[in-house]
Amino acid sequence: MARFGLGGMFVLPSGENSVSGAGGLQTSKTFPRSLDALADIFGFIEAFFTETAIPDEALNSVFFVVEELFTNQVKYSRGHSDGILLEMRRNPDRLIVSLTDFDTERFDVREAPDAPTDLPLEQRRPGGLGIHLLKRMVDGLEYEYVERRGTTTFTKLLR
Amino acid sequence: MLDIHVGDNGSVVLAGRFDASQAAKAEAFFDAVSGAVVLDLKDLQYISSLGLGTLVRVEKRLRGSVGGGLTLINVSPHVRDVLAYAGLDMIFKIGPPPEK
Repeated sequence: MARFGLGGMFVLPSGENSVSGAGGLQTSKTFPRSLDALADIFGFIEAFFTETAIPDEALNSVFFVVEELFTNQVKYSRGHSDGILLEMRRNPDRLIVSLTDFDTERFDVREAPDAPTDLPLEQRRPGGLGIHLLKRMVDGLEYEYVERRGTTTFTKLLR
Repeated sequence: MLDIHVGDNGSVVLAGRFDASQAAKAEAFFDAVSGAVVLDLKDLQYISSLGLGTLVRVEKRLRGSVGGGLTLINVSPHVRDVLAYAGLDMIFKIGPPPEK
């Protein structure tokens, strides 16, 4: 399988789909519902950054947000074995990333309360910071829930 | 992948990516440390919220003994930003940024 990128044609590893067109260059891949998939997810994102010339400054925040969304889906939707679909689209001024969980309960991260960040150490509890932090790393956040399929989409402006 | 070891100068060195899949490995390592610990983050490329949670847990335990706690050195801009967003820059002792 091949895909057309900004600078020419790329050969894709199996399991990935990618096209270019009026909506920009895009790619997608389904990952197994396991934390062990994180290394492959990071590699997939990194390759897309390289191939589409996205500045590295955005890389760690995209890793962070994708990991947070993915691990939430792994932790809270254990009742089935479907994978989690990761889609990325690069437009001239922005990166748009979606994670889709199939057959899941509704969970809109935008509705999750912010974590208190001014507590002293003794009142801190490990965990609970992830969603609070991801909201500060994105330039747009959307959620769609249709027929038990939940898709969280975030936008990162490319400066 | 995360590499965690004791460096030549006695500091604990974290290198690579500290993501959710590495939390158990890091916690097993930190269970064995005590007292005042210098954590060298020069080669830590990335830390996730679970990684932060691990450091908070370690800090709580270490501060249970007199003089105990983490001092983070060589903190990259990414890690510094994440600590600041979480309000943890006011919790951890943080040394100067990495030399360029």
